[in-house]
Amino acid sequence: MAAATERAFACMGVRDVRSGLAAGAFSAREIAEASLARVRALDGATHAFLETTEQLALAQAAKIDAAVAAGTLDACGPLAGVPVAFKDNMNLTGTHTTCSSQMLANYVSPYTATCVARTIDAGGIPLGKLNMDEFAFGSSTETSAFGPSRNPWDLSRVPGGSSGGSASAVGAGLATIALGSDTGGSIRQPGSFCGVVAVKPSYGVVSRFGVVAFGSSLDQVGPFARSVEDAAFALNAIAGRDALDCTSQAVGIDFAANLAEGVRGMRIGIVPAFMEARGLTAEVKAKVEEAADHLRALGADIVEVELPNAQAAMSAYYVLGPCEAFSNLARFDSVRYGYCDPGHADLGSQYEASRAKGFGPETRRRIMLGSYLLSAGVYDTYYYPAQQVRTLITQDYERAFQRVDCILAPVSPRTAFRFGEVSDPTDMYLSDMFTISINIAGNGGMSLPAGLGADTGLPVGVQLVSPQFKDENMLRVAAALETAYGPAPVAPAFREGGTLEASPANIPDAADAVPGVDLPGLLSAEGAPSEVPAKRVPHEPDSPAGCPCEPGLSERPGSAEGVAAQVERAGE
Amino acid sequence: MTQHLSERDVRGIAEYTRIGLTDAEVAQMTVDLNAIIDSLKPITEYDLAGVEPTFHPIGGLSNVMREDVEEPGFSQAVALENAPKRQDGSFLVPSILGEGGDR
Repeated sequence: MAAATERAFACMGVRDVRSGLAAGAFSAREIAEASLARVRALDGATHAFLETTEQLALAQAAKIDAAVAAGTLDACGPLAGVPVAFKDNMNLTGTHTTCSSQMLANYVSPYTATCVARTIDAGGIPLGKLNMDEFAFGSSTETSAFGPSRNPWDLSRVPGGSSGGSASAVGAGLATIALGSDTGGSIRQPGSFCGVVAVKPSYGVVSRFGVVAFGSSLDQVGPFARSVEDAAFALNAIAGRDALDCTSQAVGIDFAANLAEGVRGMRIGIVPAFMEARGLTAEVKAKVEEAADHLRALGADIVEVELPNAQAAMSAYYVLGPCEAFSNLARFDSVRYGYCDPGHADLGSQYEASRAKGFGPETRRRIMLGSYLLSAGVYDTYYYPAQQVRTLITQDYERAFQRVDCILAPVSPRTAFRFGEVSDPTDMYLSDMFTISINIAGNGGMSLPAGLGADTGLPVGVQLVSPQFKDENMLRVAAALETAYGPAPVAPAFREGGTLEASPANIPDAADAVPGVDLPGLLSAEGAPSEVPAKRVPHEPDSPAGCPCEPGLSERPGSAEGVAAQVERAGE
Repeated sequence: MTQHLSERDVRGIAEYTRIGLTDAEVAQMTVDLNAIIDSLKPITEYDLAGVEPTFHPIGGLSNVMREDVEEPGFSQAVALENAPKRQDGSFLVPSILGEGGDR
């Protein structure tokens, strides 16, 4: 079927939506209905969505239309009428929150994450929940138990990860704003791969309450958008102190206020060791140099800065991340929520079978690695030194930011890779070589689309890094660079009037998931053996790889067959 | 590549983390974990004498408390909504010690 004929509101920016509503050019209901129809028509190609939230979207639209009718649109929040969507590790009452894991395939949120609540309170129209790497462990969405998302610029390639569904949805114009989370690069790398603005704020800017935890000293929530201004509007909506996350800080700043100020007189750092790093491709390096030239032309001083300990960030991260994940994922006990393997005579064997079948291979690897690294004797070899390295990296950034206002760097060493192309876990980890040190130090970092790479013709993002709690610096530099590159375009095949041939998606709706009423197989009869979750891709406990996502991977890449198979399974 | 972990070690970790692996999975996990641990080597080669650790990116944060006032939380019914098995308003688990359970 051809692309949706209806108006692509999700290809619009925040300002256009608002002015159209104010002028009566369209209603919020039209936005909601057309955006949901567009997702159903086109997401068969991207598989960005795991679930849609039609009732919520229409209810929100009705509120906004009532405000327009009453002449009180000005009192609505900054995202009034804007199509938004959320990474599936964010709770929203009455929706599945699966973290793309069989472990949570039938989990229905009994509460709403603060970042989600604030986005909706700001007027966003919630379209649904977005695919990710399982529990955010990955850089491609290939570890999703429900099949990978695809890159809207080339459906045979990954969208990046872990927030790959978020990047894919915004890149394809299926949402204007999406939220993701970033522990080592999980917002910025998919942002780069899909050619969208992707912001990981400083640690502490956005509350993580209600976001399923991965690495609690590293995790941060942030927005995807197709312009710097839209990202700043979204950040305004979600930032700030929340009593429910003790690490969240009062921010008290308008992130959109200084976007037009330009970079004249700003000092922007380049890290020579990053530019010479092994594995950095020529086309990405060229884009970072080009961005530096643009900034110089716009009046900024480009200054070389050293981060002598940054090369230790990778190994520090792959110590700290798994250790924190091991601790956080201990909560999945098959008793209070999550997958429960039926028919066990004792609790121990129920735990072991449920966690073996509920967690995919990468999740199991990280849990077990973390357990090992925290064990007696080993702790002093890896974990404690990693925390000492964190001190050195933090000091590196502090020294650098005494000399510069912002740092310009690569995001990912390369553009989007093909499905299955990076199969070794340690190779996959290299995707994050330029993003990880920022999480370790707690700075802000973002990816700004800088056009297409000279060799692959795929989107390349450049990274801008802020001092901690000076996120406005990177947004201001990004806005200046955006004057050179233009706002991020919707991927060509997905533009209005595009000619994408894709099977329509058959995405479950959250209305199927009424909490406490009917979770098929899980909450049926009291005390009855629970069934394997069957909401989406049926679990295959006897598959040789032990992971339901692996068998189909090799045949999936972008082929019509892969898409058809996906749709069929989603419809079961 | 250094053999940091034997299959026997990996079996022990699996038991501790309550992940029931098959023999084939233990073998593969042993290969994977050894490769990953090998890649962490740089962390062991730094001269870190006298460097204080940083356990959290916001230095000044400690013991953040809310006001000690009653606030509504989950009801018992809501807390049980996602429980795979429940009985009489409680989470239902099989026997913890010895034989029995819910077969």
